[in-house]
Order: sequence, then structure tokens, then C-alpha cells
Amino acid sequence: MSYLKGFLVTFRQIFQKRVTTPYPSQKRAKPERLHGRHVLGRYEDGMEKCIGCELCAGVCPANCIYVRGADNPIENPVSPGERYGFVYEINYLRCIHCDLCVEACPTGAITESKMFEFSFTNRNDAIYTREELLVDSESGKPKQLPWEDWREGEDLNTSGWLRATSPNGDASYEGQIAWSGDLGYGIRKAEIGQSDTETLEEEQ
Amino acid sequence: MTDITSAETAVSITVDGKKVTAKPGELLIDACERNGTYIPRFCHHSRMQPVGMCRMCLVEIDTGRGPALQPSCMIECSNEMVVDTQSKKTIKAQEGVLEFLLINHPLDCPICDKGGECPLQDQTMAFGPGESRFIEEKRTYRKPIPVNENVFLDRERCVLCDRCTRFADQVAGDSLIHFIDRGNKTQVNTYPDQPFSSYFSGNTVQICPVGALTAAPFRFKARPWDLTEVESTSTFDSVGNRISVQESRDRVLRFTGVDSDSVNWGWLTDKERFIFEAYSNENRLSGPLTTNEVAEGSQKHAVATSWSEAYEKFVKAINETTPERIAVIGGSRLTNEAQYIWSKIAKGIIGTDNVDAQLDDGFSPEVLLSLNPSTIDKTCKPGGVIILLGADPKEELGALYLRLRHAILQDQCKLIELTPTKTGLSQLATHSIRVPPGKTLEAVKALSGEPSELEDDILKELTKVQKIIKNNDSISVLLGRTSLAETSSIVEEGAIKLQEYLPKASFLPLLRRGNINGAIDMGLSPGLLPGRCDLEEGSDKLQNYWPTCPTHKGFKTKEMFEAATDGQIDVLILLAADPIMDFPDSQLVQEALDRIETVIAVDIFATDSVLQADIVLAAATATEIEGSFTNLEGRISPIRKSVTPPGTARPDWMIALDLVQYLVPNLGPSTFKELCEEISLVSGIHKDFDFSKVEQIDKEGVVLNRGKNKTQTSLIKIPKQKANSFRLVVTRSMYDKGVLSAHSSALKGLAPGSRIKANPKDMEKLGITSDSTVRLIGLKGEIQTRLTPDPETTRGTIHALWNQDGPDIRKLIDSSLPVNDLKIEKI
Repeated sequence: MSYLKGFLVTFRQIFQKRVTTPYPSQKRAKPERLHGRHVLGRYEDGMEKCIGCELCAGVCPANCIYVRGADNPIENPVSPGERYGFVYEINYLRCIHCDLCVEACPTGAITESKMFEFSFTNRNDAIYTREELLVDSESGKPKQLPWEDWREGEDLNTSGWLRATSPNGDASYEGQIAWSGDLGYGIRKAEIGQSDTETLEEEQ
Repeated sequence: MTDITSAETAVSITVDGKKVTAKPGELLIDACERNGTYIPRFCHHSRMQPVGMCRMCLVEIDTGRGPALQPSCMIECSNEMVVDTQSKKTIKAQEGVLEFLLINHPLDCPICDKGGECPLQDQTMAFGPGESRFIEEKRTYRKPIPVNENVFLDRERCVLCDRCTRFADQVAGDSLIHFIDRGNKTQVNTYPDQPFSSYFSGNTVQICPVGALTAAPFRFKARPWDLTEVESTSTFDSVGNRISVQESRDRVLRFTGVDSDSVNWGWLTDKERFIFEAYSNENRLSGPLTTNEVAEGSQKHAVATSWSEAYEKFVKAINETTPERIAVIGGSRLTNEAQYIWSKIAKGIIGTDNVDAQLDDGFSPEVLLSLNPSTIDKTCKPGGVIILLGADPKEELGALYLRLRHAILQDQCKLIELTPTKTGLSQLATHSIRVPPGKTLEAVKALSGEPSELEDDILKELTKVQKIIKNNDSISVLLGRTSLAETSSIVEEGAIKLQEYLPKASFLPLLRRGNINGAIDMGLSPGLLPGRCDLEEGSDKLQNYWPTCPTHKGFKTKEMFEAATDGQIDVLILLAADPIMDFPDSQLVQEALDRIETVIAVDIFATDSVLQADIVLAAATATEIEGSFTNLEGRISPIRKSVTPPGTARPDWMIALDLVQYLVPNLGPSTFKELCEEISLVSGIHKDFDFSKVEQIDKEGVVLNRGKNKTQTSLIKIPKQKANSFRLVVTRSMYDKGVLSAHSSALKGLAPGSRIKANPKDMEKLGITSDSTVRLIGLKGEIQTRLTPDPETTRGTIHALWNQDGPDIRKLIDSSLPVNDLKIEKI
């Protein structure tokens, strides 16, 4: 009879809510600030935000970003201003998704999506080039590469959303929008502030 | 520059409560910095006059009348001065100045080339208020405007510090950029439609304290934190300027000047600054080449080969002939170490003395060795007299020109010019005398009071010069080639005569080519062995290290080519020499190359001469090797490796060491260290110098004590100029068709082109205008051209620039004549 005692644990669990999900066919919701694969944004007029300033490469603790700038072609400029990111490469075998590049970027060009499920069979494929990182020039959505597993909403909370609080944590800047719009998304809404408890409760 | 003076003259001041000593007349900002207190500044530059434009260096100074804010870059230290650099008032003033400067300064640091090494950025972080109260719109200008081919000006970023304009005006003497407009609209700009065409414009980029001036070759190439730098020596000309070589991802991206007290004071010419582009040019030779054997009559062409095969072919060519039928030309691009080992191969292993590093554009080494040596500092000694016997320092040795200019303008030096053409220094000369070409010796004779055949007005001037020379005991002579269309003996004889007349005078030879002085020291000259000794004197010392040694003096370059046309030379080794381009008499070179059986070239580019070579050994260049450089003073300074050479190209010393092994197996040296030791052992002048520790030498370098030899020269007879003939004067200009300039995109378009000039009075007499085409007829050839009237050109002469686009002036030069006289025919 004692073996039935053992099944008792099992029977008790059967009627409880399941905590696991059948990954990868079904995925759990990701935290809003998850650091996934980077995207390079565009302004609403289609120009690239990246100006090739290399601050992301300078701040990167894993040394995984390689940027080179070049003179913007006068007839057909790539980005506003004199300089644009001529080479932009991120080596995902090195990247630790710390998000320091996003914080360093003066134009909000580089942000991180929620997508982190990608793998490679070749070390060269791990180096994402500018063409792969840039959002689509028509829709403004990240390019979805064959080996990446994109799900609904993983491209949403990028760009200005991530800089919704002032760098110093000054509460008086909460909710203030001081960033540019994104191709395909327009000006993104501000994140809910830490002290703005009313809206927080409403949303919940 | 005075040293820290003795206790009586030194000034005692108090800086932040600490007693320090200053030199009399020293500016407070410099005295504080020397004693460890940095006062922020933008306009102050220790190599230029103070102006007090930026007000950043305001500090509280008390000279007995109570503390007051004063700009420390304008105040000379006085005794008992009390300075407070940390007081509340000082800090408030400095914060105020910075906030004020940033009102109109755009915050485009992320795309600014200066961002990361910007004094405005750094000092805002260190001394700034942290926040700005300015919320209005900033002043805007059109983003960068080119002020010349290589420099961009972004007026938005300018903080009006006056550094670039002061540099252009005071240091370079090309005041082509200025402040224009008034008040809020004050801006730096060029004159309308007139570019900032100065040979030294790149220096303004280096001293700009913000990103207002940027250099086109570096524009957006990398950020300053990408760069790895090593301190090296510019091998481009013989001044041996100290430079910082900055590299990112194995590519040299920038040269900047290093402030060396005794050499270049931080300045560089644009040519030296931007020449690095040539080094990373994709057309560099990246491996050995050899010509394949083809059927008789068809064109031979170069194919890639392996190093061992190239070496074997080299040895075969050498062994198939006798030593006296082998010639070696060039070697001034090489480091001292490579020069020694090539000298050993040529003279000690092959046994030929037909070795010459000069392409008939310099001086005979015997003459150079017999003159009192000098240094740049000695030449520029305050209050001294400088006699210029030839060559225009502005066109040939730019950094030296800036030092001379400073000596004349600030240090009361007197310049006496005895040249056939006007030079860049003529305006500053106390006496600028146009000596007719070929008459240098006559001018020196007149100077020493001997009878001479010069015209009366020149003689009158020379008597005035005599007085200046008599009353001065610091006399230096700058010795350069007055013209490439005449023999070097003309100036040599003048120099020897001058030394007899002024035994105390010292001489600075203006040989232009890179490490030419090292080449002479290492024996790459006929009749010389390493250590500047002659064949007899040196052979004892060398017998333990060199298997053989030539006994008879060999040919000079010109004589080698003449011998080759007679079929006396079988093998010619070109050590980074391009005689087709650089030897004055191009026809002689072509005839010679056609007759020589095997031409071997060690070079970095496929120059015209390399294209005719049978074996080509690809060499590494100055940013890719370790070694040392000897400048025109005999100052040794290090050359440091920064990047890797292209393909399998190898350093010259490595090629030479390999060849030693192929020629005589097991003969030393076999490593770089052994090579360094061997030089110190065999060369008298290098015996106290350790080449293996050359990288430890500081930026001032080490001046060799080279002594001097005795010499005799036989006077050459200069033919009298015939009536109605014109004497040809050919001089160099800063930019020409040289192979490095041609491969550097920044310098390619700067050559002025050949402007053949004549005196308008002569032209009038012949009935020629600037529109009429004339035929210039020399002994060997003729060219058709137009003449440019120029009142500065001496009557009876034709002045042309060397190595330019347009009619080939070398067709008129016959190097067997002491001077070349031309006839002009109207068409």
C-alpha cells in the first residue's frame, strides 16, 4: 500500500496550475526590459540613426562591437549630419547583452529587442553586420533572419522606450518624451515611471 | 631657450602656498606647469607668442597690490608673486569662461574627429560648471568648409583661440587664415577665393584645441581611443622629425608631430604628415618578383616568385660576374642597420666599391666630411649669422625652415643668402644676394676679400656682408645644391673656400633624401667604409668581420651610369632608388639600364626603375620596421614598428641578412642583435652607441661625434656663359611627382607643375611673351614650352622646377657638363 502513498504527491499536483511550458512551441512572456538581439533603428523618414561615433564600441566590456564611420554622401545621405556608420558589426559569440551600448548611444540608434533565441553553425554567422542589424527600410521592423525565432511583440519595446527615465533617476523627468520617432512605430510612448503608482495600478 | 638659471637670476613665486622657482621672463602658466600645477588653457601654446584670447587661464595673482584675476599666459613671473589657482574666484572665473565658450560650441562630439582627445572636452570635464544655463538656439554656420585640399574648417566649433591664425602668421609665415567679421559673428576664414595653401597647414589641425580644424586624410577614419601610437622618426627628409605614428587595425591612420626641443618643435610639413597614405597604398609590392624567361625579342614581364628563388637568382647574378662590374645605387630610405649590412654585402662580401647612396643630387662625401659639423640648435643660436649657400629650405626641408624662420624673427639671427634663385627665406634675409649660377666660388672669394669676377652691385652687397661676418663669431653655413642642372663641385668649392676664410664657421649639409647621412656614415659611398673612414684606414678594423674589402675607390652614381653605357657594368642593385625619376640626366640612365644585364631592385613600389628590374625584392617601409635613423646633424633617433608589412614584404635588414647567408654561409651577423653589436664594433663613430637599445632613446635623440677629415679638391673650370645663352637653374619644390607623393591621395594633386620662368626683360629682348611657344635647346635635347615672366629670376637664366608634370626638363640636362646653357628659339 505504501506505493500509493507515493502517488498521492502526483495526484495532488495533477490538479494544480502547470508551471512549465512546452518550449519552444509555446513561450513564456518575457520581462519588459529583457536584453535580446540588437537592432539599429531608423528615423521616420527612413534615415539611419547610427552616426558611426563608436561610443558603443568604446563602452562595450566584451569588445564585441566594431564600428567605422565615413563621410555621408552629399547626394544621398545615409544618416542626418556629416558622418554615418559605414561598418557596424556585433559579434554575438562575445556579446553579453549588458546593454551598455544602448546607454552610450547618443542618437538612440542601437536598442535591444526581446529576441534572444538564435544560434549558428558557423562562427562567421555570429557576426551580425550592419545590413542584418538595421531595421527594414519599409516597415521599420527588425529583419528576421532564418536562424532566429521571433515571436509576437518581441520587437515592440525598443528605442525611446528604454530611455524613459532620466539618466540621473530624476523623478521630474518621468514620462517626458525627449526622443525621436522610429520608422514604423512613430514616437514611442514613455515607460511607466517608478513613482507613478497610479498608472501602475491601473495597468495591473 | 635658457636653462634653469643660477640662484641670482631665478625668480621665486608662490603657487597655491608652495614656493617654486621660475626662470626670469618665464610665463606664469609655463612655470606652474613645470612645477606640477596645470592651469587650463586653449590659446596658450609654448611655441608661439602669447595672446590671452581665451581667458581660460585666469588665476588670482597677487604682486603686492592684492589678489586680482589675471590671465596667467600673459603674465611673466616676478619675484614674490603669490598665485592661487584654486581660489573660489579662480574657479568661478574658469567655470564662467567654459560655460561661455560652450554657448555656441555645438555638442556634436560623437561625430567630431577631436572627440576623445579634445582639450575643450577634457577641460570641461575637469574645470567646467557641469551644467549650462543656455537654452537658446546656437549660432550655426555651414558645416565644414575646405580651407585647402587637406584641411577642413568647421566654424561652429571654433572657440576663437587664435592658435591656427597665429601659427600661420608667426610660425609658418603664410598668413592666409584670419579672423573676419566682428562680435558674435567673428570667425576664422581664408581670404575669398584664396585657399590656405601653406606647406604647414596640417600643424593647425594638430594644435587646434577643439575640432574646428580637421584633416581630410584622417576624417572619420577612427576615433582617438581606437589608436595605438608609437613614437618614431619621420624618414621622409633628412631633418628626422620626431613623429607619433598612430595605427588602428594594422593600418597607419595618422602622423602627428612630437615636440622635440632640438629638432622639430612639434611641427611637420604637410608632406611628412600625410605621406603615411602611401605606405598603406594597395599598390605596394607585397612579395619578390622575377622576370620570366621569354623568347628573344618579346617583352619580358614580372611574375611572383618565392624568396628563396629570388635570393638564388641574386647570388647567381653576382657570381656570374666580377666585383668591379657590380654597382649599388641608393640606400637612403633604409635604416642605419640595413645600410650597414648592405654596405657589408657590397663592399665586404662582393668586394665592389661602386656604391653610392646619392643620385648625383647631393655632395661628395669627402667634402662633407671635411667641414666643421653643426646642429640645428647651433645654426639657430640667437644672434648668430646664417649663410645659405644653396637649396631652399622651405621647399626641401620644411621643419628646418620653420626653425630658421624662428631664429631670424625671434632670436635676432642674421641670414645671408648667396643663391641663384629667390628662396622661401629671402624676405627675411638681411642680405639676399642673387649669385649667378656657377659663381658660388666667386661670391665666396669676394667675401673673403679676394678679387672676383662678379658684377659691381653684387660686390657692393658682399662688402656689407663682410662687415656682418667680421663682427660675429657664431657663423653657420647651410650647404645645399643651388641647382640640379649643375655639378655639385660648384657649391663644394665655395664651401671649402668659406671654411678656409672662416675656420670657426660650422656647416649643416642640406642633403634632402631621408637617411642619407646614415648611409654615408655606414659606408654607402664610394671610397668610404662604415664609420666614415676611407678604404685604407678602415680595412684593418674590418678584417675580422668582412671577408674582403675593396682597395680602389669606386664610381659615383654618375660615373657608374657612364661606365654602364660603355658596357662596364653587368649587375646593378637599386636600394630603393629610382634613378629614372630622380637622376638629373634621364637619358644617360635609360641608356645605362638598357645595357646592364641584371638589374636588382629592393623597393616598396613598382617605380619606373623597378619595372626594368630582373629581380625585385619587396621591402617593408618606415612604419613596419624597427631601427634607427641619422639626421642631417648626425643625430640618431629610433624608428619604431607600428604595423605589419603587406604580403611577404620584409624589412631591408632581414633581406640583407638572408643574402649574407646565401652568399657566404655561416658568416655573421645572423640576428638583429648581432648586427647591432657588429656595427658598434667596426664603426669608430658608433663605438659608444648601442643600436639594440635604440628604442630607449628619448625624443631628443643622440648626436654622434663624427669629427672631420682633411680633403683636397681640384678646381673645376666653369665655362663662360655665351652671349644670348641662358643658364639653366633647376630647383626642387615641396611637391613633385615623387613616388610616395604619387601614391598618397592627399598629396597627389599638389604639385605645381613645371613653370619655366625667365626674366621679363630677357623675354622682351627676345620678343617673347607668356603666350608664345619657344624651343629650349640644350646640348642633349630640346623641349617646347611657354615661358612665365618672373622679375625675380636672374637675368640670363631660366628657372625650372624639378620632377613636375609638363615638359620634361631633364631632357635639357647633360650631367657631364658643369653647367647647362640653353638657347631659346622662338617658334
